[in-house]
Amino acid sequence: MSVTLVSVLFVAAGLTALGAFIAAWKRELTAALTGLPVMFAGAGVAFVGVARFGATSGAPALGQEVAVLLAIAALAAVGLGVGLAGRESSR
Amino acid sequence: MDSLHAIGFYVSAALAGVGGILLAFLHGHWHRGLALGAVGLGVAGIYASLSAGFAAIVVLFCYIGCALLVARPDYRTVEQAAGGLWRQIGALGAALLLVVLAYAAFRGRFALATFYGGPFNSVSVARLLFAHDALATEAVAGVVLVALVGAAIAWRRERPRDEREGRR
Repeated sequence: MSVTLVSVLFVAAGLTALGAFIAAWKRELTAALTGLPVMFAGAGVAFVGVARFGATSGAPALGQEVAVLLAIAALAAVGLGVGLAGRESSR
Repeated sequence: MDSLHAIGFYVSAALAGVGGILLAFLHGHWHRGLALGAVGLGVAGIYASLSAGFAAIVVLFCYIGCALLVARPDYRTVEQAAGGLWRQIGALGAALLLVVLAYAAFRGRFALATFYGGPFNSVSVARLLFAHDALATEAVAGVVLVALVGAAIAWRRERPRDEREGRR
């Protein structure tokens, strides 16, 4: 059993498509927003996979850096979405 | 890559996939928060098995934060205006995206290189974040700041209905 760049990219494709499906399928907007971190996770997995298997000796950590930035951006997007949805009124 | 890392990769990928599917079909704030936490745990495991330990820790914290935000019981439910037909077209588009990406991954001719980094790579990632690509880091920090300030302002403006009526 081994992991190759193709298997990493398959996982990344699955996560990206799953995030797009969540964003399109969910009727509630805050639930649809949760597709965004999943899509970002797919992109991050692709970046980390390329950094692990395909990067030359110049910048092997560049993909990991992009994955870190994507995770932070996902957190900001979810925070903004939940904040914009606003607090539920008590009745 | 040894078998232990490979097993870790596939188990983590399965956890992330199952978490994503549960996220798509579960209802309720708590259930969605738990599913998003499972996605974060799986993605962090994928990163750790791909020798990106620092990114795994950051992703774990960020996705736990996302899960806690989504699991809050007190945010409003906002329904989409789009009808069922558009949602089905969007789902078909997501399936088409999967086919295209999987085809590109399967048919692509990628250059393979030997990995010289360590299992954690915090020094090299930090050097990139704060020296080589400091402008990109500052741009993302600015986006995060604007998003959090906007979220805080929007959250404070929405008052419970009885409180607003009590002020009048």
